[in-house]
Amino acid sequence: MRRHEVVVVGAGLAGQRAALAAVEAGRDVAVVSKLHPLRSHSGAAQGGINAAVGAEDSVDTHIYDTVKGSDYLGDQDAIEFFCREAGPTVVEMEHFGTIFSRAPDGSLARRPFGGAGFPRTIYAADRTGLALLQAIWERLATEATRFTLYQEWDLTRIVVRDGKVQGIVAFDRKNGRFEGIAAPAVVIATGPSGRIYARTTNAHSCTGDGVATAYEAGALLKDMEFVQFHPTALPDSGILITEGARGEGGILKNSKGERFMSKYAPHVLDLASRDVVSRAIVTEVSEGNGFEGGFVHLELMHLGKERIESRLQEICDFCRNFAGVDPVTQPIPVYPAAHYMMGGIGTNAKGEASVPGLFAAGEAACVSIHGANRLGGNSLLETLVFGKQAGLAAAAFAAQATGRPTVTDSDVEASQAPIRAMMARDHGEDPAQLRAEMQATMERYVGIYRNDADMLEGIKRIRALKQRYANVRIVDHSQVYNLNLTDALEVGHMLELAEVIVVGAYARTESRGAHSRIDYPKRDDARWMRHTLARKGPEGPELSYSPVAYTRWEPKERVY
Amino acid sequence: MAVAKTLEAPIEVYRFEPGKDAKPRYDRYTLTVEPHTPVLTALLRIRTELDPSLTLRYSCRSSICGSCAMQINSKSRLACQTPIGPEIEKHGRLVVEPMRNQPVLRDLVVDQASFWRHYDRIEPHLKLDPRHPMPEGKPNPMTPEEVARFYETPRCIACAACYSACPAVEADVDFPGPMALAKLYRFVVDPRDQAHQDRLVRIQTDGLWLCLRCHLCTEACPKDVRPSERIRDLKELAIAAQGGTEPGSRHAIGFKENIRERGQLQEMKLVRQSDGVGGMLAQAPQGLRLWRKKPEIAKKPRAIEDLDQLEALYRELDAPPKDGT
Repeated sequence: MRRHEVVVVGAGLAGQRAALAAVEAGRDVAVVSKLHPLRSHSGAAQGGINAAVGAEDSVDTHIYDTVKGSDYLGDQDAIEFFCREAGPTVVEMEHFGTIFSRAPDGSLARRPFGGAGFPRTIYAADRTGLALLQAIWERLATEATRFTLYQEWDLTRIVVRDGKVQGIVAFDRKNGRFEGIAAPAVVIATGPSGRIYARTTNAHSCTGDGVATAYEAGALLKDMEFVQFHPTALPDSGILITEGARGEGGILKNSKGERFMSKYAPHVLDLASRDVVSRAIVTEVSEGNGFEGGFVHLELMHLGKERIESRLQEICDFCRNFAGVDPVTQPIPVYPAAHYMMGGIGTNAKGEASVPGLFAAGEAACVSIHGANRLGGNSLLETLVFGKQAGLAAAAFAAQATGRPTVTDSDVEASQAPIRAMMARDHGEDPAQLRAEMQATMERYVGIYRNDADMLEGIKRIRALKQRYANVRIVDHSQVYNLNLTDALEVGHMLELAEVIVVGAYARTESRGAHSRIDYPKRDDARWMRHTLARKGPEGPELSYSPVAYTRWEPKERVY
Repeated sequence: MAVAKTLEAPIEVYRFEPGKDAKPRYDRYTLTVEPHTPVLTALLRIRTELDPSLTLRYSCRSSICGSCAMQINSKSRLACQTPIGPEIEKHGRLVVEPMRNQPVLRDLVVDQASFWRHYDRIEPHLKLDPRHPMPEGKPNPMTPEEVARFYETPRCIACAACYSACPAVEADVDFPGPMALAKLYRFVVDPRDQAHQDRLVRIQTDGLWLCLRCHLCTEACPKDVRPSERIRDLKELAIAAQGGTEPGSRHAIGFKENIRERGQLQEMKLVRQSDGVGGMLAQAPQGLRLWRKKPEIAKKPRAIEDLDQLEALYRELDAPPKDGT
């Protein structure tokens, strides 16, 4: 058994920022990730990071925009803290070495983003996530002697005993060996779970392992029914076309050549909040105003070659390589795709989850600052602000922890035995088949527009898939880099989360932010201005609810 | 979108598990794909439809995570960014193998330890001087021109395609490889970094001059970082930083001046220019052996005709760059 003081699972921006905070606090830290840190999905974030640093902008406006964007489900105390930390966080990342784009006067360049009152999205061309990920890794790696990197290790279990976290069980892909890593504090920063859906902007590795593992360990998940669909993804592959493309002046058009956003968001048009734009596109296509194949167009041509190629360099590559269109001369076909989980492991603003010793940050967590809908540019900021908080809180918890946490041989065996059984089967379910059926089910029954009958069907189908999963089979018996084993674990994790999403969505009889019900089209503050909490029970998720924290902003109707 | 016609693509994939398999084999799969289908999509279809035991690294499928570099028809490429159609059209087949210059763990997965070790060795982080602290509570000012000096290096996704393609890495495990050197360049043009001089001095004896200038890294790079050009930039900066006193830079300067004289390389003279008289003496035994086989190396070559044209070329190259170059 290995032993550390703080184990951070996930090495994207949130995990690395947590690890850095815990290292700086003097703790012995382990960083466990199924990818090399520089391959984390944070690197795929394109558009930018919000901070109200412009002379005309203010932190209060950022707070208000975020509260409104959340459709009044975000906790206002946490949002206030979050927006106040934005400026210092961006400065810190600049000092760590991030190469941000610059204005002519040498200050940080800013672009307008959806749902924001002022241009406050600081960026590095259209690869802001990559720029930040490189800088944080460069900084964290200077502390290489003070933390242990478990690179390409898969998390299988968070061990909780006597009501306290004891550590984790994970296996090393290189040799297939399962090992216990004991620690009084565990930070989950495993990012997204968008692969639950068929069409997603997320990387293949975004399978919600940490969130599902925390749920299995008894942690409360919060607001999982709120799934953000990004309005502009390439239709076939789901590859993201940044909101920055509209921030730079890109416009959406339907097959009649109409700038249709004028119908849905007359004031801010294409820069409305993501939920609004995604619904508009789906509505246009379903009313017959889409192009053949079911998509709309994002036009950049009028911006000119120079601006497109300098500000949207990666987008140019993506379009040319993956869609066969040149955005300088042709419109880009786009359709919404699952992009971001507003929900996650329920935490407070310090990153503390409901189980003592368990912490979470980034997309895997739900503080909640995004509420029912996240604003573009707020997720990169979230990873860094709350990654640091979770790292600090975990370090403090570990420093004061009494007793000696242990991950026993039988804890490790409890992870390994089911794998052996999956390998021993002569017949059984193929993980890839289960994954495909789950993805299609979620896309069809729990997508952008939802209703009672669809979601009931969704629950039935996801539960049937879970039953079939009990008989899943791993055909590859190798100990070395066995992706068939990883497939089987990941689909198990995703099925758990899919069930929480659909059960939570079915119960919430209103429309708020990204949760749009045709049968309950209005927001219902009297009944539903509260967070959904899900705990794993013997028959599936058991739901309860908690109040939204208020400070200054009374709920209003949300118009863009 | 136009309906693309499909093709039957034969795909040969390298399979090997060291310690288990006696030797590598190539498994052949046939898939019906569209010409623009990326190689990665085909490999994932092989995994889901035909053989789940095939193993590879992949994640983002949009050329930003750097996981899926491999040899595709003998070229180091990202599988997610390489469409099948043109490969089959050009080569008549599609052969997929693991990256080179890194030991195979299994199938298409290689051990990248040496690649990351070289990356760590260039100290890829801002080095600060406590006498010049960062501005308190404020970002460093940086003009768009200063940002432009980074060229494309921030686009690097550490996929190691360049490392796989590099013959200098193959010849010498101590060569840092294109990615690490391009990354070093990113730090020596960063106005915030305060160790430019130290970095440039150190890299001269740490492998900078081992680059063969073959440009295969630039050909392989999926993000257009153009590592060989960044290495060239580094060499220029290194010569400037040390006044051309280090043997590697003296060799480069000597080469230039040597050819300027007669339009042909004077090999004996080059040894003295690069390594000095002491260096010449040290290399004398090897020189003698060479001279026995090839006596003409000791002779001064005849000056070429129209030497004035060469001189005009040199003058043009030495002139300060015009705007925008």
